[in-house]
Amino acid sequence: MPSNGAGDVAASGDINQPENVTSAADEELRLLDEVVRTFPSPPVRHLLSLGVCPQCILRLFGKYGPSYSSLSRLLSMLLEVAGDQPSSNYPTSQCTSSGDSICSVCCGILQFIYMDEKQTMVRKECANDLAVSIYELAKKEGYQIDGFCLEVSIPSFIVEKDNAIRLSMKEKYGSEVWFKEILQSETISVKDAIKLYITEPLETLFGVKSGPSSFRIRLTYSSSELLKSQNDAVIKKCAEAQSSRPSDGKASVCFLAIQCYRTPIYVLGRYLKYSRNVSQTRWIIDDERMGESSVEEITGDSVLPLCRGDNYKFHAAGREDIDVRMLGSGRPFLLEIQNPRILPSELSVKEIEEKVNSLRGKLVKVKNLKVVDDQVWALMREGEAEKQKQYAALVWISHELKDKDLQIISSIKDMKILQKTPVRVLHRRSPLEREKIIHWMTIEKITGSTQYFLLHLCTQAGTYIKEFVHGDLGRTYPRAEILQLDVTDVKMDRMNL
Amino acid sequence: MGDAVRAEDDRHQSLSEDKPPHEDENAVAAENDEQDDELRRLLLPDDVSSLPLSPPSVVETNFVRYYAPDFMKPGHDQYVYRHANGCVISISSSFLRLPLNCLCVIGLAPTHVALQAEGGVTSVDFNVGKSDRSEFKVTGKRKKNAQHFQPNSILCNAASGEATYTIRCCVKGSLLEVNNRLIQNAGLLNTSADREGYIAIVMPKPTDWPKIKESLVTFDEYKKLRKLS
Repeated sequence: MPSNGAGDVAASGDINQPENVTSAADEELRLLDEVVRTFPSPPVRHLLSLGVCPQCILRLFGKYGPSYSSLSRLLSMLLEVAGDQPSSNYPTSQCTSSGDSICSVCCGILQFIYMDEKQTMVRKECANDLAVSIYELAKKEGYQIDGFCLEVSIPSFIVEKDNAIRLSMKEKYGSEVWFKEILQSETISVKDAIKLYITEPLETLFGVKSGPSSFRIRLTYSSSELLKSQNDAVIKKCAEAQSSRPSDGKASVCFLAIQCYRTPIYVLGRYLKYSRNVSQTRWIIDDERMGESSVEEITGDSVLPLCRGDNYKFHAAGREDIDVRMLGSGRPFLLEIQNPRILPSELSVKEIEEKVNSLRGKLVKVKNLKVVDDQVWALMREGEAEKQKQYAALVWISHELKDKDLQIISSIKDMKILQKTPVRVLHRRSPLEREKIIHWMTIEKITGSTQYFLLHLCTQAGTYIKEFVHGDLGRTYPRAEILQLDVTDVKMDRMNL
Repeated sequence: MGDAVRAEDDRHQSLSEDKPPHEDENAVAAENDEQDDELRRLLLPDDVSSLPLSPPSVVETNFVRYYAPDFMKPGHDQYVYRHANGCVISISSSFLRLPLNCLCVIGLAPTHVALQAEGGVTSVDFNVGKSDRSEFKVTGKRKKNAQHFQPNSILCNAASGEATYTIRCCVKGSLLEVNNRLIQNAGLLNTSADREGYIAIVMPKPTDWPKIKESLVTFDEYKKLRKLS
């Protein structure tokens, strides 16, 4: 990395205050002046005549331009170098035109000229001004910022143009001593340059360092409509007329989309479902809602506003039917909040918990909520396959319950059963026989009844419990009737929930 | 790199925080007890005496019961139990959405002549004419190999002593499975024709259903017709 880039100097001072910015700009210019004076004049003259912008000229010499001072200052420095005496060999009219016109290499990217989403041309004085508009956008959206990661994408034809100009310089000045020096220094692409120019001002504005972060600033440069049609022609022309000035002086600028977003955050927890009329996920068939609400909506609609995200996705470790309650331990679930503006603190997560649990109707309760990173995914998937589930069913049996029945039931351990696809789901699932394991069962008598009892059972995930009990048109005898089913435990020890 | 390591540490810390320290063990135990109490309270029925003496059977709760009395021959009363799941008939404006498939369980109604015969049904033969209905292997979500049956297509022959009775499909649709256990144990028809003794499962096309429904009678109409209480 070139040590005499202006950015390094600016970074060393605290430049939060406007006067500091000016002093940083002064310092920047002083250093820049020293750097620019070392440039040989023929290539500078040549590049200027090709309509290459001052920032790109610096870049092609392996140096960085200023972040805080106006580009016109840089231009006059370069002109001085190019013409030995300022504005003698080059008419002033041409100087100004080359200052204002769009760069033939970077298409205005490094001149901070672009088309915004309203198709109007925007021209920023310096890198800092562009950084300020990004900063304002992020502030307007209300992001809580603890760091940022800058993502820049640049259309491929600009890379091609960059390569073309480098090739032409090599052809022309390849044998010169100064050119060999340039070759030794790091090549700075248009993308590297724009990133470097705005990173430092952004760090100052946000008061945080750039680096790996869930908060992303994305600058997408794309060819505007006009450019798209000219695109191929321009590149061809550049390739053909490398040494001569590109004939179309008015190269079009790029379209720039500035986006701020945050990668999803995950809220992990367990939910309990007390209602037999609440589905796990939003369930709407032909505009008609099934059940009065869903766990997905109850949790998501509470968490989303607190994180101020765009949207949420609900993921759970398994599921239960709408008419089955989820009691006891609760079921692990994961709420994915997309583009959250706010990162919830431990305290606000507790608030969410209380908010959900105090909702009217008390249909759903959540517990052990915590914010986790996306590594929880792997665990969730793993847990899904290996977990055992515990159920309690209110069962009626056609004969009187005897002590012998209790013993028989509780003596069963890890019993293998074969289940045909239940009639209930046969319309959408493949007709198959599936082997499942019933780990254990116990009968809990209900005082006051000889035919009703609670059946507690622990089974392999994926067992059709209702069918296991009622036999689904005859797979068990004596026949029993299942009245209510509840899930009482979902084991998932690895998740530490 | 340094950041990554620190993040790792943070996570370990947060995980270990979740594990209850020893002095809080009592509190955790109390919380577990509370959870258990709540669970027990929720699991047990509120009022045992309010439970019905014998609850509605799975057939009554999960199916809509239709009947085909005197199907093609007098006394050949059959039932068509239509499962209530996935039977939402699309009436919305969206043309793209297809109504879901819905299954019908076909069997012998209690008044079927074969069940009235002395000794009841003694054997069931799915090998009728050219093909054996019990040999079809329907596979996959899309029910590959399912045979298209007409209402008068023969499902099986049931024998009671010397007499044989032809049992037909009653509805137009794809035959998904026949009850193979009847081959070994035809007696299931005599003991529980409406459950373990079902004959076959048929999937009619949703668009065909309204017409099929017209050809059948409801449970109430059937009861009235056969003078059952």
